[in-house]
Parts: sequence; C-alpha cells; structure tokens
Amino acid sequence: MSDNTQGSPEAVDLDSTLSAVKVTAKDVNVYYSDVRALQDVSMEILDHTVTAFIGPSGCGKSTFLRCLNRMNDTIDHCRVEGRIELDGEDIHRRSIDPVQLRARVGMVFQKPNPFPKSIYDNVAYGPRIHGLAATRAELDEIVESALRSSALWDEVKDRLRMPGTGLSGGQQQRLCIARAVATKPEVLLMDEPCSSLDPIATSQIEDLIDHLRESYTVVIVTHSMQQAARVSQKTAFFHLGNLVEFNDTPFIFTAPQDERTESYITGRIG
Amino acid sequence: MIDRKHIHAAFDEELEHIHTLIMTMGGLVEQAIQKSSTALRIRDTELSEQVVENDSAIDKIEESVNVEAVNMLSRRQPQAQDLRTIVAVMKISSNLERMGDYAKNMAKRTSVIVQSPPLGPSNGSLKQMSKTVKQLTKDALDSFIRRDATKAANVIQRDEDVDQMYNALFREFLTHMMEDQRSITPAMHYLFIAKNLERIGDHATSIAEQVIFLVTGSLPEQVRPKDDQTPYQDQRLEVFTSNDKCKP
Repeated sequence: MSDNTQGSPEAVDLDSTLSAVKVTAKDVNVYYSDVRALQDVSMEILDHTVTAFIGPSGCGKSTFLRCLNRMNDTIDHCRVEGRIELDGEDIHRRSIDPVQLRARVGMVFQKPNPFPKSIYDNVAYGPRIHGLAATRAELDEIVESALRSSALWDEVKDRLRMPGTGLSGGQQQRLCIARAVATKPEVLLMDEPCSSLDPIATSQIEDLIDHLRESYTVVIVTHSMQQAARVSQKTAFFHLGNLVEFNDTPFIFTAPQDERTESYITGRIG
Repeated sequence: MIDRKHIHAAFDEELEHIHTLIMTMGGLVEQAIQKSSTALRIRDTELSEQVVENDSAIDKIEESVNVEAVNMLSRRQPQAQDLRTIVAVMKISSNLERMGDYAKNMAKRTSVIVQSPPLGPSNGSLKQMSKTVKQLTKDALDSFIRRDATKAANVIQRDEDVDQMYNALFREFLTHMMEDQRSITPAMHYLFIAKNLERIGDHATSIAEQVIFLVTGSLPEQVRPKDDQTPYQDQRLEVFTSNDKCKP
C-alpha cells in the first residue's frame, strides 16, 4: 500500500474524521489455491461511514469484502492470511463463531435472493435462528423495525404473508436489506446491491444507504463509480489484488493521487 | 497528467475539440489585445473598429464551449482530471470572454482619444503595460496548452508588475488632469484603458490558477499578490487638490 492511502489535508470530512475505527485489516492476503487474489491489504473502516470499494473485475474488491465476515471460509480452496479486527477483536480467533460473526456483519448480495417464504418470514428468519425475540410481539416489532429501516414497510405492511419472491426487483433487494438488518448487525456489507436494479430502484437503495449509515457501518462494492461517488464518504480503489488508493471520496473523484486510480476512474483502463 | 487515451474514443475527440475551441478563443483574445494596443499607439481607428467587430466571434466561441462542456458533464460524467479539465475550460472561456470585452472597450475609447492630442510620456508607459499584459496572457494560455503548473505559478507572480504599472499610470493621469483641465477627457479614457489592461492581467492570473487546479488538483495555496493601490489614494488626491477642496 502506498502513501496515497493517507487522508488528504484538503478534503477533510469532519464526519468521517470524528468516527471511530470499526474494522481494521492488516496485511490481508487471500489465495484461491495457488493464486494470490489479494496482496497485503491494510485499511481501517470507520464506524457510521459508507466505504465504497471500486476497481475492475477481478481486482479483489469482492474477495476483500467477503473477508470481513469470513464468507471466504465457505470456499474450500480459499485461504485468508493476515489479521482482520472488528472493534479491535480478531475475527479469526478460535472463540469467534462465524455464524455469530455474520449476524454482526450482515451481507446483501448482487442479486436479490429472498427465501421462498413470506415477506414476514424472510425478515423474521435471522432473528428466529439467533433467538433475538422471546415472544411473537417482539418478533413483530423486529420485523416492522427492519422493514421500516429498509424503507419497505409502507409498501408491504398490508401483505406481510405474501411471498417475498412476488415483489419487484427493487423491493426484493430492500427486503434482503431488511433481512440483513433484522439481526441488528453492526456492519453491513453490500456486494453490488444495485447491479440488477433499474435507476429508480437504484436511487431508492442509494437513499436507503444514506440512512443506514446512521445506524451501521456500511461497506459497498460497486461497479458504478458514480454510485460510489454518490453514496460513500470513503473510497478504496483495488487493482490486480492491491489496494491502490484509499481516501475521502471527493478527493478520489477529483484529484486521485495514483495514476492507476486516475486511469480507472476516467475510463482509461478496464 | 495522464496522456493515455480513453477506452471510449469519442470522449477523447470531444475533449480535443473543446481544447481546440479554447486555443482558438485564446488566439482571438491575444489578437484583440494586440490590435487594440497598436490602434491606440498609432491612433488608428480603423484597426480599433476591427477589434470591436471581432469581439462577437469570441463571444460565440464561449457559448460553444459552454454548450459542449455541459453536454460532456451530462453525457460522460467525467471524473478526476477529466472533470478538472472541463471545470477549468468553462472558467477559462469565461475569463477569455471578459478579456475580449476589455480589449473591445479599449478599442472603443481609442476613437475618442484620437480627437485629442497625445498625452506625452504616458503613452510609453501604457505601451509597456500592454506589452506586459499581452505576454502574461500568452504565457497563461501556453501554461494551459502545456499543462505547465510552474509556468502558471510564474504568471500569477508577474501580475504584481501589471498592478504596479497601473498604480504608476494612475498617478501620471491624475497629474495630467490636474495640470491641464483640457486633458481630463483623454486622460479619463487613458485611465480606463489602463484599468482594462490591469483587469486583463487579473483574468490571465485567473486562467493560470485554473491551470494549477487542472494539473495538481488543488488551487494555489498562496493568496496572489494584489498591488492595485489606487482605491487607497484618497489622501494623495487631497494633497493634489488641497487648494480647491469641494465641501461635502
């Protein structure tokens, strides 16, 4: 990692400088069999901040995102080296249960993937398996709160028993966000959450991300640089498995320091 | 700055075209300054009328630059150096348009000035000032074409000389007016011409600042020298006019 990953004096974002570090990655390397997909990635992700990962396909941004809640553990030939801390605690410690970790670090995927269950059960699924509600009333409250925070409540409150798969693409994605926030995670990882949505649904999700930031730390992988510019306070540019530049978003999009970042965001390399 | 081409070749063509427009506009503005200074020096009203007529061409290019820049902003969503280029180009075209207006104003005043006898040695000082301003404009435009932040910084520093020349001319014209009331009309026009040149220098400086922003990503840190002292010369005016002070 180069010096370009330091904050710029010109683009001080008061909001993000006041935030505490939520996730710390130190010298993270990821291998798929013998192929090194990520090389010595170190970064600090701030609490209550939207951090965007950008970069061309195969640059390692999604791989790194999946490191943050140990999703890579589910891939047989994938090996993660280095240290990742959540609130200062190593997430690879033996005492850490990956399932519990994923309740703290939730994830929303590229394609909306609601369970073939009702809208209510989709959202209630996580709280049920994690035993977050003692009574039905409590569960109702969690479901309502999650649907409200994903800006879906008003659209579905009268049809909670209808299948989640019957919703529109944008609504399904917000349902998946509701499902992710129902377990009250601290960090929300989003892997290209708008790539299969139309511009209106995309705007709704982006608006939602702005609000989610008040309660969660949000990390979003996106292929749309405009989206990264719109929703994030911090942006990380990955290229060929390296974290090339990490800085305040306005700085990355107006005056990036590394030539590779400049070339990528101005459409000079793919 | 990166010279590598965009994946989308049409974007490069658009950027190149907007550059060509700025260079054409810059050429016309340099010509206008040159011609209006010469017209004044050799008291040639035909030449000064040419400057007035040609100003509309500069205005038209400014319009084209704005239309193309807005189109590129909306269609290409430029980032980083492309974004800075388009923002800089829009500001520079506005600077050039104003410089053209000042040259036109100088030319208009020439037709009045030729009706009075020359104002003695002040002509030489004005010639020197217009030469300096022309060079400043040329260097500012060169710094844009070459993306040369060092040259641009040099332009900003040299604007101080223009301000000092203007201060000197301000005093000279004031003296002429006090010594001979018949010189008030031409001297006032000369004074406005000197002020126009001083403002052209300011706009050249502004272009240089945009070049620094374009190349480095941030505007120059230092506050640029501003040496036009004429707004503070009431005291001297009072000394000069102490015998016939107007009562408020």
